Amino acid sequence: MARKDFLDIVSLDRAEIIHLLDQAEPFKDLFTRSVKKVPALKGKTVLMLFYEPSTRTLSSFEVAAKRLSADVTIFDVPHSSVTKGESVRDTIDTLQAMRADYIVVRHRLSGQPAAIARQTNASVINAGDGAHAHPTQALLDAFTLREVYPELPGRKVVIMGDILHSRVARSTSTILDKLGVEVAFCGPGSLVPKTRFKRFTNYEEAMNWGPDAVYQLRVQKERQDAPFYPSDREYHAVYGITEERLKEISDKGIYVMHPGPINRGVELCDAVLDYDRCLIPQQVENGIATRMAVLFGLKPDLKNEPS
Amino acid sequence: MNLFLQGGEVATENDAPQRADVWILDGVIKNVGVIDVPEGARVIDCAGKIVMPGMFDAHVHFREPGQEKKETILDGTEAAINGGITGVVMMPNTSPSVDSPTVVKRVLEQGEKCRIPVLTSACITVNRAGHEMAPIAGLKEAGILMLTDDGDAVPNAALLKRAMEYGKEFDMFFASHCEDPQLCGPRALNEGPVSYRLGIQGTPALAEEICMDRDIRLAHATGAMLHIQHVSSAIGMETIRWWRDERGAKVSGEVSPHHLMFADEDIGDYDTHYKMNPPLRTREDNAALLQGLKDGVFRIIATDHAPHTDFEKSQAFVDAPNGITGLDTALVSLHDRFVVTGEFGWDLIVKRYSAEPRRMMRLEVAEVSEGKPVDLIVFDPDKETTFTKEFMRSRSSNTPFLNRTLKGSVEMVVLGDEILLER
Amino acid sequence: MSTALDPAAMSAAIDRLADQILSAAGGQAIDLVGIRSRGDEVAERVFAKLVERGAQARLGVLDISLYRDDYEHLSSNPTLQSSSIDFPVDGAHIVLVDDVIFTGRTIRAALDALFDYGRPSKVDLAVLIDRGHREIPVEPRFVGEHLKTDRMDRVDVSLEKIDGKDAVEIITQ
Repeated sequence: MARKDFLDIVSLDRAEIIHLLDQAEPFKDLFTRSVKKVPALKGKTVLMLFYEPSTRTLSSFEVAAKRLSADVTIFDVPHSSVTKGESVRDTIDTLQAMRADYIVVRHRLSGQPAAIARQTNASVINAGDGAHAHPTQALLDAFTLREVYPELPGRKVVIMGDILHSRVARSTSTILDKLGVEVAFCGPGSLVPKTRFKRFTNYEEAMNWGPDAVYQLRVQKERQDAPFYPSDREYHAVYGITEERLKEISDKGIYVMHPGPINRGVELCDAVLDYDRCLIPQQVENGIATRMAVLFGLKPDLKNEPS
Repeated sequence: MNLFLQGGEVATENDAPQRADVWILDGVIKNVGVIDVPEGARVIDCAGKIVMPGMFDAHVHFREPGQEKKETILDGTEAAINGGITGVVMMPNTSPSVDSPTVVKRVLEQGEKCRIPVLTSACITVNRAGHEMAPIAGLKEAGILMLTDDGDAVPNAALLKRAMEYGKEFDMFFASHCEDPQLCGPRALNEGPVSYRLGIQGTPALAEEICMDRDIRLAHATGAMLHIQHVSSAIGMETIRWWRDERGAKVSGEVSPHHLMFADEDIGDYDTHYKMNPPLRTREDNAALLQGLKDGVFRIIATDHAPHTDFEKSQAFVDAPNGITGLDTALVSLHDRFVVTGEFGWDLIVKRYSAEPRRMMRLEVAEVSEGKPVDLIVFDPDKETTFTKEFMRSRSSNTPFLNRTLKGSVEMVVLGDEILLER
Repeated sequence: MSTALDPAAMSAAIDRLADQILSAAGGQAIDLVGIRSRGDEVAERVFAKLVERGAQARLGVLDISLYRDDYEHLSSNPTLQSSSIDFPVDGAHIVLVDDVIFTGRTIRAALDALFDYGRPSKVDLAVLIDRGHREIPVEPRFVGEHLKTDRMDRVDVSLEKIDGKDAVEIITQ
């Protein structure tokens, strides 16, 4: 029985994750054809409900849905910082009336996609909710890492930066952990909470641990209501990939990943983008294939009334 | 009314329940003991049941005036009766707040129409805004004993100090909702692994503990009497104990059933039925608070009955208002969770949820003994209660016990010359 | 249940298919595309025979899970496998290969999939078994064996590589 919704990585087991990653491969193969579309979701409606602005994730989902021959509608939702319950409820009622099959939701508040999923028969995909989860990002991250390391168990990845406010940190650490990768967090003491993963508050310590890949997170200025560290300059010097650190990374053949968009000069120096083991472009490319796999793998519950 | 409660066990605050019959005549308890049925009395079979004084809840929110969609004073008291509670103290965070004699009068008048006595507390500061002292003398005259800005702490320590220095002269006491406004974040849940997992900024227990420390020191320095409301933190509880026992401070504390029973883990997948302020903390806190209750660190149990509409509680976790109802469920849940398991007995419940709250409010303690006015309930420990919306009398049903079945049932409530409830 | 074809009969059927395709090709190169699952193994075996007989042949494989017409009725969507057609489809003369042709819907899906790779000059169909009961107007040019079956019968094809044995069984309902 397929799932109705795709809300987080925590609720998936290892077998499901591997199945999804495997399912993404044939979708990636399609990119080499002249006709990149398949009719699998022909006649289905995919609604984009992005309460938080985003160009990359939105367009990635749009391309994925259109390549499955689905009809894509971008729902104009209020982008104000105050989107109270009333308007979300109204939106859900409208969606029900429109008989959407799939709804892709991005929201500022943790838990909101789950709340929407409970109130609609459509398949809900979480495109990022608050600081809680970003499961499709996690999938494309795992897929990308698996392309360079087909055997993931035992590999080491350090996730660097604003762990506290990052849904990417949560979802990606969870998926890698489930796949047997050793995960560690590193960043300013005020931004790395205690979790079950190894914790480094010092870049050098993290490097001495011997990671196979460094995953730099975006500094989430918009989620920090008060300063968590003194300045961007200090952040870059202490926790960013400086030109000097890039040399060490390059010498050791360590891969570099980043969910985007990059704050140049804060998390990474520009030279990182020219580094041949920088996986950022592959991450973007793999986003479409993994999102196609997610859409293809879900089944809306259009026969029954929502609970 | 001539009533004979036969074959039950009478519970008191000092001993385990004792087998005794209770004869009630015209609103007064005529006799308690193993006695013959008096002539003309209506016999109520209480075999296997507990007969005890009515409960008293010193911390409830009835939302009137201003938010009657959630609860009214009348509905709130009916929920109380349904739960075996025969007296309440309302909190003043209504709209307008209970911060002037006029509003006090208004809510007390509404209270008069109810079937159980209704008391109210009043604000320390005007509109609970934390800037100006409320008209304390006028409030005293209107009958107020407890001053609290519950819902919030008083942010300005200097103002609170002055209010305490002034207010203690009127023989009133202060009650504190302890929460540092700068550490509390979005007031959604406890800071810890659960808040991390759910991706929501949590409130550290520190926010409560720092404020408790502050308020207790201020009260002790000024000589005011202080009652700490809804304690959720084990360390915070230790602060009360230390100042009271080591320094002789006039401080008391209250704990709610939910802080004894539930932890932040219970929030699960963003279930707002486990969202309240102060938030649920850890299982270790549950255990420590329970021990504190048994050791007498807490003077009273109080529910912090906080009704909200279904619509409000179905919002995203961060947006949903804080609080759960408690009046319908408290006594049965305390029985189900703690008396059945042998954690504590009826004596503790009678002491902490009936006698001490009344003493704190300077009322006559309700007792099931000869000569006392009738204020009692009959509880069946073997019957089960299912808390459906239809069963509960509160206008709102935001409780984690919704549709759950617990062991125990409030069977009868008798106050004065009237049977308020009989199942 | 009855065994319609034993390993020897199956081998003979594969031979017949190879012969038919070879003679129809008239010396030209042969482009086989096997339809997963099992059509690909049949195509592999036919390909081997063709190579044995000196033909110039190329082999591709097509997964049609993304081209079905029945997703509404499935409680979960099929597991995808890879497709691989290494030679250009534009202008090619493709021989689609499947194990069984029944209603013809699979072939329709295969044609849709194939045409998303390019525009072949011609498409022929080769099947190991034709069991009748068409619901789509599609006919194979090359058939290994014709089987008489009832509409409700189940025809199970087992192949060495994927199933561990060679057999065709008919199960009457």
